[in-house]
Amino acid sequence: MPLICLGLEGTAHSFGAGVVSGEGRVLSNCWDMVSPQEGGIHPREASRHHSDMGPDIIKKALTEAGVAFRDIHLIAFSRGPGLGPCLRATATMARSLALKLGVPLVGVNHCVAHIEIGCLESGFRDPVTVYVSGGNTQVIAFAGNRFRTFGETLDIAIGNMLDVLGRIVGMRFPAGPGIEKEAEKGENYHSLPYSVKGMDVSYSGMLTAARRLYSEGVALSDLCYSVQETAFGMLAEVTERAIAHTKKTEILLTGGVARNKRLGEILTGVANRHGAAFHTVSPPLAGDQGAMIAWTGILQHSAGDKLDVADSHVRPKWRTDEQDITWRASS
Amino acid sequence: MEPWAIGAESTIFKTEQWGRPIILKWRPEKPYLLKEIDEQLRRTRTSRECKMLTYARLLGVPTPAVHWTNLASCTIAMDYIEGRQLKLMAGTLSRSLLHELCYRFGQSIALMHRGNVVHGDPTTSNVLIDGKSRLWMVDFGLAEWNATLEMKGVDLHLIHRALETTHWDQQEDMLAGVLEGYMSLLGSDAELAFSRMKSIRERGRYH
Ligand SMILES: Nc1ncnc2c1ncn2[C@@H]1O[C@H](COP(=O)(O)OP(=O)(O)O)[C@@H](O)[C@H]1O
Ligand SMILES: [Mg+2]
Repeated sequence: MPLICLGLEGTAHSFGAGVVSGEGRVLSNCWDMVSPQEGGIHPREASRHHSDMGPDIIKKALTEAGVAFRDIHLIAFSRGPGLGPCLRATATMARSLALKLGVPLVGVNHCVAHIEIGCLESGFRDPVTVYVSGGNTQVIAFAGNRFRTFGETLDIAIGNMLDVLGRIVGMRFPAGPGIEKEAEKGENYHSLPYSVKGMDVSYSGMLTAARRLYSEGVALSDLCYSVQETAFGMLAEVTERAIAHTKKTEILLTGGVARNKRLGEILTGVANRHGAAFHTVSPPLAGDQGAMIAWTGILQHSAGDKLDVADSHVRPKWRTDEQDITWRASS
Repeated sequence: MEPWAIGAESTIFKTEQWGRPIILKWRPEKPYLLKEIDEQLRRTRTSRECKMLTYARLLGVPTPAVHWTNLASCTIAMDYIEGRQLKLMAGTLSRSLLHELCYRFGQSIALMHRGNVVHGDPTTSNVLIDGKSRLWMVDFGLAEWNATLEMKGVDLHLIHRALETTHWDQQEDMLAGVLEGYMSLLGSDAELAFSRMKSIRERGRYH
């Protein structure tokens, strides 16, 4: 039997459990999400959700994968970055499983996991990764043994901007799909603040302007269309800057916002202009889920990485570039 | 004409005019962007870059001289700088020369900030070093006038990040050179900009 890893993800409002085999087959990937209340995620509520739902989600993942607890060789968990209470709830489950089963424990960086599962799916070796979700907007590439953030948002994440806009116009959370649907009907472009600083972006000015346009009675479809074109245009630009600067030849799009068809279309254009390959991670592997944690756990484990339970405190502010990527050939 | 380089925004051609090599920086249409946004960006950036190449030189920053600009085709013709990007040279230089160049990079940014303009994309791709080890700044499409402390802090933050992502093995030395050069011209104003840079760096790091 090949190596079997159970990965637990719980950095924010989702809890996920995924089972992946040593050769990179995703055997199962189950998750559940607590809907954020007005004003965003409540860390304590989300962590209670994870502790309450976790055991059942884990059991479901094992059943779907057709494996038993005794078949598991390795437990991986999302060690950070994320909300402290959520990380701790998840780590507690991971530790107790590792101790009970007598198997090694591996702590995985959430952002690194998004990249590695994307590389597994696409076959990419060394991409510029555009990671866009409710909590993250980052352009990341591998350099000198680390994944380094070449660009990011200076204020709010793109997914957060879309969700807040959605709430203003009365859409359900998450608002990304609703906005995308409206945008398809949009015809008139209303100018919005386009804010690019080097490889960084800023979305807060745009959100303020969009709110004003809405209150002035601009049609919802036109508003969504204008927001998407502007926000994604900014992402296209920083991606181009990262590609031109690093000279890499692959672009990987991942995170919850990667589902958006128009964003994929725009980045395909960017890739073509620079002769780069492009891949959008499929929705089940692009969102927050356990399979990415399991797969990255396998990679880390194969490079000899292990974590003593006693040293396995969580890292809410763990930056992507703080971890030596021992399993990748240095560049 | 064969492109000489593909930049982030532009396609660069090298050609001759009156027997001298010149660079044509062309901002082509990007069919994948919304036409209104694309046109607006290409035009304002071409115009801005043309003006700022000259204005920065007025402030004392070495930049290639502009020969002509065509706003309809979004093209700027400028002097060709026979040199290489600092990004590509950093790993090949002696420690003292690298420090000296970073010091002058910092001074160039300080000269702009003292004139209340920011570069907007101060990576080591946009710093050229010629055969006589002279430093030139290029790529002013994201430059801005009427710069606030926040904008200057962002400019410094971008340098800091470019060093940590691209020159990770030399970043401390290079950053020290840049900051010393910056401080040498701005004195106590530099402290304000540094502390703003630090707070901008922290903001991006909550996740
Ligand atoms: N005047 C010049 N002389 C020599 N090389 C240049 C000149 N202008 C640009 N280049 C080269 O072309 C690259 C891209 O030009 P740049 O102005 O930075 O365009 P972009 O905005 O597309 O990055 C530069 O990094 C530099 O290597
Ligand atoms: Mg450039």
